[in-house]
Amino acid sequence: MNLRAPSAVLLALTLLVGAENETTVAPLGTYKSAERRHWAFQPRKDAAPPAFPDAEGKRWVRTPVDAFLLARLRKDGLKPAPEADRVTLIRRLTYDLHGLPPSIEEINAFVNDKSAKAYENLVDRLLASHRYGEQWARHWLDVVRFAESDGYEYDTHRPDGYRYRDYVIESFNADKPYNTFLKEQLAGDEMVSSGKDPYDDTLLVASGFNRLGPLRKNAGNQEVASSRTEVLTEMTNIVGASMLGVTLGCARCHDHKFDPIRQSDYYRMQGYFAQTQIHDIVVATAEEQAAWKAKAQPIEQEMRRLRFALRRAKEEDKGQIEADLEALDGKMPLPMSAMCAVKDEPKQTTEIHLLTRGDYRFKGPKVGMRPLGILLPEGTPEMPLTTEKPRVKLAEFIVEPGNPLTSRVFVNRVWQYHFGRGLVSTPNDFGRMGTAPSHPELLDFLANQFIAGGWKMKPLHRMILLSSAYRQASRSPIVKLAKEKDPQNALLWKFNRRRLEAEELRDSMLAISGRLNTKTGGPSIMVPIAEDLVKDLKRPQYWQPTRDKSEHDRRTIYMIYKRNLILPFQQVFDAPDTLLSCARRDQSTHAPQALELLNGKLSNELAEHFAKRIIEARPTADARIDYAFQLAAGRAPTVRERTLAKHYLSGSDTDAVAWKELALSLFNLNAFLYVN
Amino acid sequence: MEHVRYNKNRREFLSNCFCGMGSLAFASMMAQEQARAARYNPLAPKPPHFPAKAKAFIFLFQAGGPSHLETFDPKPLLNKLDGQKRPAEFGDVKYQNVNSNSRILGTKRTFQPYGKSGIEVSDLLPHQAGIVDDLCVIRSMHGDMVVHSAAQYQLMSGRVIPGFPAMGSWISYGLGTESDSLPAYVVMPDPNGTPEAGQPMYTNGFLPSVFQPALFRPGKRPVLNLELPNGIDLTRRKKTIDLIRQLNEANLLDEDEEFAARMSAYDTAFKMQTEAPEIFDLSNEPKETLELYGVGKPQTDDYGRRCLLARRLVERGVRFVCVVAGGGGAETEWDAHSDIERNHLRMAALTDQPTAALVKDLKRRALLDSTIVLWGGEFGRSPESEKSKGRDHHNTGFSMWAAGGGFKGGSVYGATDDIGLKAVEKPVHFRDLHATLLHQMGLQQDQLSYMHQGRRERLTEVHGEIIKGIIS
Repeated sequence: MNLRAPSAVLLALTLLVGAENETTVAPLGTYKSAERRHWAFQPRKDAAPPAFPDAEGKRWVRTPVDAFLLARLRKDGLKPAPEADRVTLIRRLTYDLHGLPPSIEEINAFVNDKSAKAYENLVDRLLASHRYGEQWARHWLDVVRFAESDGYEYDTHRPDGYRYRDYVIESFNADKPYNTFLKEQLAGDEMVSSGKDPYDDTLLVASGFNRLGPLRKNAGNQEVASSRTEVLTEMTNIVGASMLGVTLGCARCHDHKFDPIRQSDYYRMQGYFAQTQIHDIVVATAEEQAAWKAKAQPIEQEMRRLRFALRRAKEEDKGQIEADLEALDGKMPLPMSAMCAVKDEPKQTTEIHLLTRGDYRFKGPKVGMRPLGILLPEGTPEMPLTTEKPRVKLAEFIVEPGNPLTSRVFVNRVWQYHFGRGLVSTPNDFGRMGTAPSHPELLDFLANQFIAGGWKMKPLHRMILLSSAYRQASRSPIVKLAKEKDPQNALLWKFNRRRLEAEELRDSMLAISGRLNTKTGGPSIMVPIAEDLVKDLKRPQYWQPTRDKSEHDRRTIYMIYKRNLILPFQQVFDAPDTLLSCARRDQSTHAPQALELLNGKLSNELAEHFAKRIIEARPTADARIDYAFQLAAGRAPTVRERTLAKHYLSGSDTDAVAWKELALSLFNLNAFLYVN
Repeated sequence: MEHVRYNKNRREFLSNCFCGMGSLAFASMMAQEQARAARYNPLAPKPPHFPAKAKAFIFLFQAGGPSHLETFDPKPLLNKLDGQKRPAEFGDVKYQNVNSNSRILGTKRTFQPYGKSGIEVSDLLPHQAGIVDDLCVIRSMHGDMVVHSAAQYQLMSGRVIPGFPAMGSWISYGLGTESDSLPAYVVMPDPNGTPEAGQPMYTNGFLPSVFQPALFRPGKRPVLNLELPNGIDLTRRKKTIDLIRQLNEANLLDEDEEFAARMSAYDTAFKMQTEAPEIFDLSNEPKETLELYGVGKPQTDDYGRRCLLARRLVERGVRFVCVVAGGGGAETEWDAHSDIERNHLRMAALTDQPTAALVKDLKRRALLDSTIVLWGGEFGRSPESEKSKGRDHHNTGFSMWAAGGGFKGGSVYGATDDIGLKAVEKPVHFRDLHATLLHQMGLQQDQLSYMHQGRRERLTEVHGEIIKGIIS
């Protein structure tokens, strides 16, 4: 018999790991000094920013960030690009911090602001706005693969998934210290004091972080042990990817091939979640609960009856009964308003074993809980799985200032979202397969400052945004030389131009058409979409377009993120699939994007509004074209652009179709789609 | 292989659309566009890692899991054991629904040998029986999961969880496409709905979005955004694209590679706009071909059209086409929980003739040698009965077949035990099949990789074995 048959594999593995191993405890693992020497596991250094005696250097260096960057540029014989003009700067900053275009009034105010602090004031104004949280929450939601449904077959909607989204937005807006932010998410439920403090609700909602991964549910025999393993895997892997920047998941099946993470390390990390169970806390009012029950109870009753009948039914009748059950289940009302949280159930603590090939059936030695060995002194003992408040302990380890990873990983993310590329260009992987930092001293400097400043995000933004490096133009006079020496622009000899992300694009189209509804927070919206997209869902009834149509024009972050229905517009512009952590979005360029903007329902509908807006606001063709360019590109058209636009209209000032198409053209304009 | 060249038709088509434009100016514009497209098209053809047997791949995905016991894997012992408990010597497996009390279910189908090869096929699939000499029947497939969604993810992407790129995305990433106006990777879903694994089963996962599938949806608007908005005709659309081009070119520097790529994307978009609709027009197919596929006959019309469309796409250089049979629930998939006869007779009536027609048609057009056709589902069905007349999911031993593309026609590979419970002889895991399919496309499984979060990801995850016995 071929040894690769599944039963043979099973047999071989059982022999290998042996039943007797189920009671043994995995050794703690040892780490060679060469492994400990990898830069990311080393303590942060405390380098002072280089000083520049020369006038040019002195002039350019505005914040310590510049000093580190300039020193590195000069080493390669490069120099920074000149400062961008004010229109470019306000557009860049507003997109960066708000994900929206600046208004014409805002642009004019900034361009005409004679104050020495004009730029600084602008940064502060933008950071203080609620829009800031809406934009930066989106980045974190990518990293933690946020969605409001389970994925897999049924793609069941989670109760009030939006509460976690709002929690993230509010946290950014409140400039919540990052260490608190992480602790609340990992262990909020364990930090609840009385249950009556309003902060307790925040903590419970935050703990929903542990439930963000996809969840498999299926009909028939439930594979309890297998499902539990999958749930624990999701909880564990995301901590590695999002908080520690290590590819922990690689050590699930065997010792990590490249990094000093043993399989025992992986399962000891999983140990922190051994007590964790899901916990829905209903918050619907008594009336809402009554209304829900009135709808649900008859269905549940009928389902109970059918399940009972199923056990006694003749074999040939079972099919019909099951079909009826399935249909009834589909009729159940959407879940009641609730907080989607977790809790510890010490009595249900899952035994954690090393699993050969990650398969729940092939149990190896047992483990307790312990952080990654590479970050600990040799021989640090593990703690028992029954330890009280285990996730608080994990969180404390992660946000311990001496942890070499957490602060570096986060400041690197912030850097990446500002500049388009991280100092470490693999933000979820600081291991050997990731890239080494382009500016190690700067990375450590930022991380140290971040911790010293109480893990506050806004001061970190300020230090970066006020730099000369950030104010550079995206075109450089030394482009030829610079591209030869540093084609990736890792050294920042110019600013990186970027395309708007899917959400920014939709929001901007709404904004310049005068349609954007800026309402904040609350339940996620669903918009009407093509029938065949809905029909493709196993449970089409989940897609219930929000009745109030003005809600359809809200910012994209308030739209539902449903795993089995990523909308085509988002998909084509590289929005993440919400199934795995997305550390950095692609910025691909291809024909379906052009088709979406040329022929798509959204762009054509909004182009009509955009055209109407400019026609109503300005009396002449020239003035309308000027206004349209100001709205879309933040500047007046060039002579050539105006000529082209007028030629396109060819005198047909009253031709509604021509104006709409002109408006549509502006949605396709590089000056609109890209931020310089 | 001689791909039918398409440019002439396209030019004719376009000049009909733009009769007002000077034909010379038009030709020069086209030449420019083509040069630009060749430079920036992220889907431009890429050479394989080594000489390939196949250039194109059609996957006839039989969603829900067709029974091996009623199709390609005759088990006379089943009928002898009908109504009895499974003899202990066959061991145990895990099912989704049926438990240890269930009884063996004999089959009502009869098997007999067909063709020169004498491979036994059941009377459920008379048309496929007729092409059996072109089929390489693998009777020892096995996967890891016994529930639809996870098994479908594994079949499509090599992983039992969603979020990983599908075969079609991997292959487009590896080879690009030979068509300059059609997508590299097309999925034609069943009009009844999506199989259990849903949208994520077909997608590009972490690969760039350019490798995502184009879904050719049933109904009037098969391709998203290819139809012009109300009140806009092609002339107007072309004019608008020209305006966009001129506006964008007004501020262009040489260094702006990405902007040049954007313009090329608009060129391709316009080409798709003008050329892709033609692909759906089956009226220039000879009557005989339509009849071969069963187009026009109520039962086979839908699947027949989609199979014919698959051939037309492959002919025009599309790399990967997935035609889905089944979706929208057990009764409209091969998911015969309650009545194997009723379900499979229905599904076979819808799909058997078009399936065989596709292989025949490719063969007579000399396209079969360079096109892989793969048939099968995410698992097979249980030897035991469910609800007296049905069969449960079954992942430990089932059948699939491959034709063309260097697969050994008229051969059988591997075997299940005497009741079709487990693959016991030369078992083929999904990852082995994936490795072999990639190999036939000229792709080396470890080289076709993408760095994602610290791991060099590949379709076969932990490396599959190329099954030499099924390829020539």
